[in-house]
Amino acid sequence: MGLSPSTGPVSSPGSSIFPTLVFVQGNEQRTINLDHTPFTVGRKVDKDLVIADPRVSRDHAIITSENGQFSVQDQGSKHGTFVNGERVQRKMLERNDRLEFGVRDISYVIFNPQHATSNTAREFLSQISGIQISTDTTDLEKLTLFLEAARKLNTIGVLDEILVTLLELTLKLTRAERGYVFMKAEDGGLRLAAGRNSKGEPLLDDKTISHSILEETLKSNSEFVITDTSRSLDLAGRQSIVAYDLRTVICMPLRKPQVQATRDAAAPVENLSEAMGVLYVDSRFASRDISSVSNDILRAIATEAASLIENARLVQAEEAARRYQQELSIAASIQQRLMAVTIPEVPFARLNGRNLSCKEIGGDFFDAVNTDEGLAVVLADVSGKGVSAALLASTLQGMIYSQLAAGMPLVDIVTAVNSFFTHKHIGEKYATLIIARIRKDGELEYVNCGHVPPLLVCKNEVIRPPHGNLPVGLLAEATYSSDRVSLHTGDRLILVTDGVTEAENARGDFFEDHRLEAVAGKSSSMEDIFSALANFCGGTPLSDDCTVVELVYSG
Amino acid sequence: MHLKIEKRAKQGIVVLACHGRIMFGEEANLLRSALKEVLTTNRKVIVNLADVNHLDSGGLGMLVGVRSSAKADGAEIKLSGLGQRLRDVLQITKLATVFDVYDTEQQAVEAFGATPA
Repeated sequence: MGLSPSTGPVSSPGSSIFPTLVFVQGNEQRTINLDHTPFTVGRKVDKDLVIADPRVSRDHAIITSENGQFSVQDQGSKHGTFVNGERVQRKMLERNDRLEFGVRDISYVIFNPQHATSNTAREFLSQISGIQISTDTTDLEKLTLFLEAARKLNTIGVLDEILVTLLELTLKLTRAERGYVFMKAEDGGLRLAAGRNSKGEPLLDDKTISHSILEETLKSNSEFVITDTSRSLDLAGRQSIVAYDLRTVICMPLRKPQVQATRDAAAPVENLSEAMGVLYVDSRFASRDISSVSNDILRAIATEAASLIENARLVQAEEAARRYQQELSIAASIQQRLMAVTIPEVPFARLNGRNLSCKEIGGDFFDAVNTDEGLAVVLADVSGKGVSAALLASTLQGMIYSQLAAGMPLVDIVTAVNSFFTHKHIGEKYATLIIARIRKDGELEYVNCGHVPPLLVCKNEVIRPPHGNLPVGLLAEATYSSDRVSLHTGDRLILVTDGVTEAENARGDFFEDHRLEAVAGKSSSMEDIFSALANFCGGTPLSDDCTVVELVYSG
Repeated sequence: MHLKIEKRAKQGIVVLACHGRIMFGEEANLLRSALKEVLTTNRKVIVNLADVNHLDSGGLGMLVGVRSSAKADGAEIKLSGLGQRLRDVLQITKLATVFDVYDTEQQAVEAFGATPA
């Protein structure tokens, strides 16, 4: 289900470094980097894109590239390959083309779609118009370049595109041959985020870059500028510079200024924050232009870039959080549907149940199944909270429901469930549960696995059948046994979760068994239990889910 | 986070006295780490729950889990000082038959076979 939020590296799918494919199937959407060719598509599990549908051939199609152009080629598939609805044998791909393999309108792939900008990204990026340029600058060309960059940056929303634009701008200004942005990774080392040469071609990290300069710049958090290495005597240790004949090297730390308010508000002090990365440009020729491009401008670029990178990261984090929330809501709604119980209509018994959730996604459930063996009801409570409890609850529900529907003996059901969960070594997760099954002659069999004992109400007298077992999922060697009771017309069996007995009021008192028994004995309506609970708690919110299930034998 | 764990030794047996509550999440994680750490060098451990006002299903699951793996390693964990509510919970879940439970820390120490000083 993939519920963990993505912690992206600097270059995540959607980066401008590789073209991307967006695969859509129902609710699922996945972005894949087209980072190698041939890129294979098919039903076989070793394909780059596996589509598990019988109408997709095992070796369905491939995507190839020639001279920077991508094409899709059908590999003799049974049901064909389609581009924009048209069946093709081999077709060159253009941006936003829609590919379908074997099945139409069920799943599809979009080739290199335009990256959608979010409004929040645009807002953040509009601050580029506030770039500070040194007042020495009169060169119109330099200003024009800034404005070009501003316009470009306003139309994109990805970190990678910001970095690439930054590099292109810097290369134009300095007339250097190569430019790179390295970002500081979590382990303190430097990772290449983007690289470009003066021809606009992407570059990867290589030995000719002076890593010693990069690290020194990052560590010292100060600039390193050499405009003619032949004149600098301080380069004995710089192997790359000497070996690859680099003449000009400029390395700037990327850092945002942290403006601290001082008592004298008229003169705020600018403190240097830690470098988050470095901007590096070099050339094999001495650049006369470097000295004329004042360091101020480069510093301005570096500072602005750092702010933009920071903002882009925040936007990315915000989007990741939003996607995670979305997935969580989908999970919650699926669980809601699983929890919806259809109460079977049975002539000899009446079943009623209600769940009060205090959490969006929970570990309580109840279910009911009617078979020839009788009307069975299960109430379960999985340990812990949140998504992990919910996951286990849903699995548990499925296992128990199907075995009840098959008429399996109750003890065998809980033994099988315990076996399954303990052998899967999930850890400390377990569940307490009660399964009760009533036959039309009034014979009730129940298995209590570590759960709050049921209430048996016979003519206003409340009995707590004491028979119990260990919970399920806790100890592999646990054995289980059931107990039987004979019910008479009008007898009621009430099952609750501990959210009821452990509900607290403002004073810190618990609802407890005696109050539960009192209301169960007095009233014949399940709703009165909930009213008593609400009255007791007053305004104090529930800290745990409450479920009450009532079975009335009308025999 | 409402759990403080006090570690002390009594006649060669390690006692982890817990103060506060033990719930699914941070507190259960804290006690689990403390127990795991103590179990690397000790075969006999007592968890004193006299000052614990709440133990939820997550905390209980953690205790059972740690006890099971300790047992597999030949170590033993005893519980002492359980209040009425905790004893009720162990009773309902039938875990009273699985854990060795004592009213006082001293009784647990003696049960390990250590003689009082």
